[in-house]
Amino acid sequence: MTQVKAKNRKLTIARAMAESIAMEMREDEKVFLMGEDIGELGGVFGNTRGLYTEFGAERVKDTPISETAFIGAAVGAASDGMKPVVELMFVDFFGVCFDAIYNMMAKNTYFAGGEINVPMVLMTSTGGGYSDGGQHSQCLHATFAHLPGMKVVAPSNAYDAKGLMTAAIRDPNPVIFMFHKALQGMGWLGTEKEAIVDVPEEAYEVPLGKAAITREGADVTIVGITSGVHHGLKAARELEAQGVSAEVVDLRSLVPLDRETVIESVKKTGRLIVVDEDYHSYGMTAEIIASVSEVGVPMKAAPQRVAYPDIPIPFTPVMEQWALPSADKIVKAFAKMKETEK
Amino acid sequence: MSTEVIVPNDLWEEDDEAVITSWLVDDGTSVSEGDMIAELMVAKIQYELLAPASGTLSILKEIDDVVAKGDCVAKIG
Repeated sequence: MTQVKAKNRKLTIARAMAESIAMEMREDEKVFLMGEDIGELGGVFGNTRGLYTEFGAERVKDTPISETAFIGAAVGAASDGMKPVVELMFVDFFGVCFDAIYNMMAKNTYFAGGEINVPMVLMTSTGGGYSDGGQHSQCLHATFAHLPGMKVVAPSNAYDAKGLMTAAIRDPNPVIFMFHKALQGMGWLGTEKEAIVDVPEEAYEVPLGKAAITREGADVTIVGITSGVHHGLKAARELEAQGVSAEVVDLRSLVPLDRETVIESVKKTGRLIVVDEDYHSYGMTAEIIASVSEVGVPMKAAPQRVAYPDIPIPFTPVMEQWALPSADKIVKAFAKMKETEK
Repeated sequence: MSTEVIVPNDLWEEDDEAVITSWLVDDGTSVSEGDMIAELMVAKIQYELLAPASGTLSILKEIDDVVAKGDCVAKIG
């Protein structure tokens, strides 16, 4: 992969992830990679480009199509002192490797009385919008955030992607790194320009467990995860035209969850909309709303969630586009809140 | 005098059109010859576009624009 050398350079999330992994591999020989097509191809989502050429097949291992085998192997290697970074190509494929994730990766440290660390990173793609069907388009944020014992991060732009990946690799705990296909800069679903941002060449960490206020506002807090952040930013610009000042919070980490930043924002605005491409029920949206409600933050209107309807994701383009969260749905949710305030 | 940034005829094999998936430097900033400045996607494969000269970049084709081989996507002056 050609390096981006220009001053004030920008990176896509795909390039930012690859750059972080390469820098950590240069520093620490225990870091190695496994997954399907992550070698010579550089990953179907572009996030391992250049690594095979620089580090070779010993440290960048293309695996057979058996998540059961290579994610199990990664848990074993991590429990034995290595620092594997593995890719579950689509998060939807978790079923065949969930024993390794849920019962071993997340729990080995506890089962071993703290004597074993499991310093691995599992990176996995999320999201739909390009008619890839219900087994290639889910987000499943809550499925991973629900289980104690793992950290879970989900960047919305290239700066955070590099910093969160660096922090994830260095963290002694297992970290799930969830990246949205539409934000990779690979053209799968068009390109989200605001995900391509300035990225420093040097190594840096974005702390795991710290949300970011992406846009300041006074009238409503819009909390987003990955694609939801960009829908929220577009909605905020539409609301601004209506004279409404929206604050947008990028969660960045699902576990640990930065409840404090969300609560402080809602204390200021008194209104809350949570945007997540994961399913409506039992999800991160409910967790965020509960976190604000249970500490008794006074609210001017009932909080709203803009999430995926509780249906398997349709293949048919018109049906899928109908179901996806959007800026328009956020603006409508805000209008509904204002209606109830009258 | 400015240099046109042309999509090279040998960047990919077929004559398919490409879509611009990223500009990796801002419009109006300076670039050096050989810097990677943009990415183009053809059938899920990405190709790198390098600066043919040094100077200030003026972007003519935006992200998500469809381009063909031989198209001028920017100028460097």
